[in-house]
Amino acid sequence: MSGDILIVAEHLEGRLAPSTFEVVSLGRALAAASGGVVRVALFGQGVRALAEALAKLGVEVLLVEDVALAEYTGDGYVLAVRGLLESAKPRLLLAAHTAQGYDLAPGLAGALDLPLVTNAVGVRLDGSRLVVTRRLLNEKVQAEIEIASDRMIVGTVRPGSVKAASPAPGGIVVPTKVSIDASRVRMRFARIERPTVQDIDLAAADVIVSAGRGIQKKENLPLIEEFAKAVGGVVGASRPLTDMDWLPKTRQVGQSGKTVHPKLYVACGISGAMQHVAGMKDAGLIVAINTDPSAPIFEVAHVGFVADVLKLLPATLKELTG
Amino acid sequence: MALNIVVCLKQIPNPDLQFQIAPDGKDIRRDALNYKINGADEYALEEAVRLKEKYGGRVVALSLGPKRVDQVLREALAKGADEAVRIAHEDSGTYDVGTVARLLAATVRTLPHDLVLTGVQSDDQGSSATGGLIAGLVGLPHASVVTRVDVKDRILEVATELEGGLQRVYAIPLPALLTIQFGANTPRYAPLPAIMRAARQPIREIAPASVSLPYAFGVRGLSPPIAKGHAEIVTGSVEDQAKKFAQLLREKGFVRR
Ligand SMILES: Cc1cc2nc3c(=O)[nH]c(=O)nc-3n(C[C@H](O)[C@H](O)[C@H](O)COP(=O)(O)OP(=O)(O)OC[C@H]3O[C@@H](n4cnc5c(N)ncnc54)[C@H](O)[C@@H]3O)c2cc1C
Ligand SMILES: Nc1ncnc2c1ncn2[C@@H]1O[C@H](COP(=O)(O)O)[C@@H](O)[C@H]1O
Repeated sequence: MSGDILIVAEHLEGRLAPSTFEVVSLGRALAAASGGVVRVALFGQGVRALAEALAKLGVEVLLVEDVALAEYTGDGYVLAVRGLLESAKPRLLLAAHTAQGYDLAPGLAGALDLPLVTNAVGVRLDGSRLVVTRRLLNEKVQAEIEIASDRMIVGTVRPGSVKAASPAPGGIVVPTKVSIDASRVRMRFARIERPTVQDIDLAAADVIVSAGRGIQKKENLPLIEEFAKAVGGVVGASRPLTDMDWLPKTRQVGQSGKTVHPKLYVACGISGAMQHVAGMKDAGLIVAINTDPSAPIFEVAHVGFVADVLKLLPATLKELTG
Repeated sequence: MALNIVVCLKQIPNPDLQFQIAPDGKDIRRDALNYKINGADEYALEEAVRLKEKYGGRVVALSLGPKRVDQVLREALAKGADEAVRIAHEDSGTYDVGTVARLLAATVRTLPHDLVLTGVQSDDQGSSATGGLIAGLVGLPHASVVTRVDVKDRILEVATELEGGLQRVYAIPLPALLTIQFGANTPRYAPLPAIMRAARQPIREIAPASVSLPYAFGVRGLSPPIAKGHAEIVTGSVEDQAKKFAQLLREKGFVRR
């Protein structure tokens, strides 16, 4: 088998996903190590401009255009990859570990009976083996696993774990014909829905005090509000709180909520799951309060208080006003 | 339009705990753990039971794991599942999602299924892959991170969550597989009589199928995560911590006094 690497690009509404640039950068490094070539597959309809943008990264872009690929469907993309594999035999197929990536990768691996490893934070080659670092148990344990196979291995890479690829010369767009039998695409795209609720714009706030499940009860929200007010900020939340309707969805920070860049972010009783961290890791000063010293939020925080938030906040308020 | 629904439920170590690594470095120490149902799977179970209540049919709760997993299956029976099946399997090997999914898929094939539900991800392994793999192996269309399900004339309409709060809506013909997202519904509490009834209900235990893997898998080793950043950790009495916190906020100019 070749040392080639195939990457499936992700795009929505005319924009490439930032995570695709990260996967390209990992793919470039792995191909360099294994003496192979990186190719990026771009599936869509009328997406030539996106292919050209990808080619600026110095990679070969296989542009597959078809009406059946106008919108992402798992079925359509599996058929497109299958078509590409007829003429090439990469060692590894990579996608980002996004809602789309972890829809496609396992569906593909299942349909073609291929080895699969997802949500990797590190990927390297060791001889004929692929060695992958993953995070387990709420980020509290790290595991290194290995896979060896004479078949193409399918993998997804967690967003934010590799630096995005920078421009490089030598890229090229290769329009590639793949015949896709539209009758085998069983699902039909209907529409995109957007949130409509009106609320404060969390993304514009300079100071955010976010509450997580660690605040225990809805009755403790006023404490968070009072503290937010004292530091000139607004209240944000982790997902479980908005799922339980303690706060409106507009207050949710994270991958499926808002991405925020405040000057100060105080995480109150938030464990630091990757989906939360994705939305706040670039805040200027991150203060985390958590009773569990092994909570992964302390990995992204600048200052960490191992404390009961329901005790620390009132005591701090007293210091500030008393 | 009665629906035969299979819902995959996983039992996981309570992720709020701290974990130690076993002496061989290949697993966590399991002697002092307590276990619970995986978070997303509570929503998958609730969705299954709601769909059954609305359209009629049956819900089979399916789990792969050792005997202790029966606890999760009893919970499912108490909350409205009609039948519980456990594929007897020891813990080792659950590090490979491909093995887990192939074993589950082998059983799904033997059960009547219009709809197969799983959670979006397990909070111990976090692969977000078991559902899609089962779908690919069994040959079902699937959608991931589902927040809403409607059924009309054997066509599902599902909303799937994307990054940043967008939803993508699909129409998918049955039979199909969906991975259900946190918050898709409000899981119910089991009423006491149902809990008592579930305690007496049988759980069908089946031997794992023999599956052939197109690869070799191994755990090289577990370790505490290598911290990327290093928070300056403040410990001590709450009063001392509060003083330091207030001082920090003043120094950085977030409070004036
Ligand atoms: C596809 C997908 C998308 C997601 N998107 C998002 C998202 O956008 N945003 C998001 O936040 N999550 C998201 N999640 C959920 C995410 O995986 C976590 O489940 C969630 O972030 C956990 O919230 P939490 O930290 O509040 O709760 P938990 O993980 O339950 O953590 C609670 C923390 O509070 C601590 N604690 C308990 N009591 C106290 C106390 N008295 N004082 C101080 N600390 C205490 C505990 O030690 C623990 O660390 C998503 C999940 C999926 C699968
Ligand atoms: N051992 C198991 N038994 C039953 N269902 C499982 C098992 N492992 C994973 N699943 C299902 O697959 C989903 C995704 O898990 P994962 O792919 O590990 O993130 C879970 O939410 C469960 O619904």
